[in-house]
Amino acid sequence: MHQRTVPCQGYFAPQKIEEALEILFKYGKEIKVIAGGTDLLIQYCDRLYEVGSWLDLKNIEELKDIRINKNQTEIGAMVTHTQLEKSEDIKKYFPVLSQAAADIGSPQIRNRGTIGGNIVNASPAGDLLAPLMAYDAQFKLLSTQGEVIVPAEEFFIGPKKTILEPAQLLTGIILPLPSERTFGCWIKIGKRKALIIATITLALVVEMAEDNKTVKEVRTCLGSVAPTPIEIKEIREKMIGKKFSELDFNQLGQIVEDKISPIDDIRGTREYRKDVAKNIMINALEKIGSAWRSHK
Amino acid sequence: MSKLIIELTINNKKRKVETTASTRLLDLIRDDLYLTGTKEGCGKGECGACTVIMNDELVASCLVLAPQADGAVITTIEGIGDDKCLDPIQEAFVETGAVQCGFCTPGMILSAKKLLEENPHPTEEEIKRGISGNLCRCTGYQKIFDAIRLAANRLSSKDGGRGEEDA
Repeated sequence: MHQRTVPCQGYFAPQKIEEALEILFKYGKEIKVIAGGTDLLIQYCDRLYEVGSWLDLKNIEELKDIRINKNQTEIGAMVTHTQLEKSEDIKKYFPVLSQAAADIGSPQIRNRGTIGGNIVNASPAGDLLAPLMAYDAQFKLLSTQGEVIVPAEEFFIGPKKTILEPAQLLTGIILPLPSERTFGCWIKIGKRKALIIATITLALVVEMAEDNKTVKEVRTCLGSVAPTPIEIKEIREKMIGKKFSELDFNQLGQIVEDKISPIDDIRGTREYRKDVAKNIMINALEKIGSAWRSHK
Repeated sequence: MSKLIIELTINNKKRKVETTASTRLLDLIRDDLYLTGTKEGCGKGECGACTVIMNDELVASCLVLAPQADGAVITTIEGIGDDKCLDPIQEAFVETGAVQCGFCTPGMILSAKKLLEENPHPTEEEIKRGISGNLCRCTGYQKIFDAIRLAANRLSSKDGGRGEEDA
């Protein structure tokens, strides 16, 4: 019989987080943590035999929930894109995240791929990353040494590079609950709708002040335009405290275009991404404007 | 050389299989269980030829490690219909000419099955989204859409005569 796989050392599928942390502590870099596998197994598709041991998180039930309380939401690292897309709570409070999850891959990929995997894989094009930054997400990292909570923006340090230590496990994502006057827009540009790595993504979240006219808070986050997902912070000073109806969308689009640092690659040139970034920023502001007006 | 034994229910049969931690579910299905209806296309989750239903969800079996399927309930194309009687979706594929080279067909049929279970009356857009993880390089998809619509009509008229899409 044709044998294409080489037997390897081991496979662990603990039921408790504590057991997983012990295994990670013991094996460190020698073990690969696997969640949905939709990125990892592609990365290793021709060399699965190189992996010494697998730590599969599939049996850890407490990582599979979305929990909402008064002030915040905690999403377990093993929550799949399908769960995110279908959750009524995520749709209601974090529509940009829900829509981004719905745009990932295909049904087959969304059923297996997880939010934790998308974060830890840290692709500059990771579809959930800009929305998570736009909702001010924090990541919970556990190890046998204890718990560390870091803001999304400090977690990513380069393409596929994060601050996660080999003995640490990302267990959850914490999102503050947005106010009722929060509006969001998600735009993903790619060559086809399904199974596409984004050429550029934009997650724009705007919170209006109590007068419902003035911008209280804004986060403009983009993917595939820099070594990590980024927020364009210069947009804050141009929008916060200003009346939404008096904003200059064209100028805001220009700031986004000027502040990103995309590269030429097979999905698009630097120039193309710069043009598109400006245009999708303007489109997103228009969409948020009409959602805000119909909400008034 | 560490081997491990996994147990799974495949097409309603319980099976115990010796495998390794770095064997893909796709290879286990094809090489160990000899269920060769499941195909390998790209091996990267993009083409959907290796689609199976695992624990009631559509998955690409090339992106699942065999031990990840330990304890799972799996349906492959061989578990749809039986030797005497095709599934209505298979019948519809035959009748509309939605099969050309046939390589994508097992995956397409499983995706269609899952789609119609969750949404018995899909719109054109919903059909497109339902099979968006499956590539076909022969048909141009039109006949596959026709087959899924035909199957939807038949299945729903069996459900209680609500074949309104025919109108």
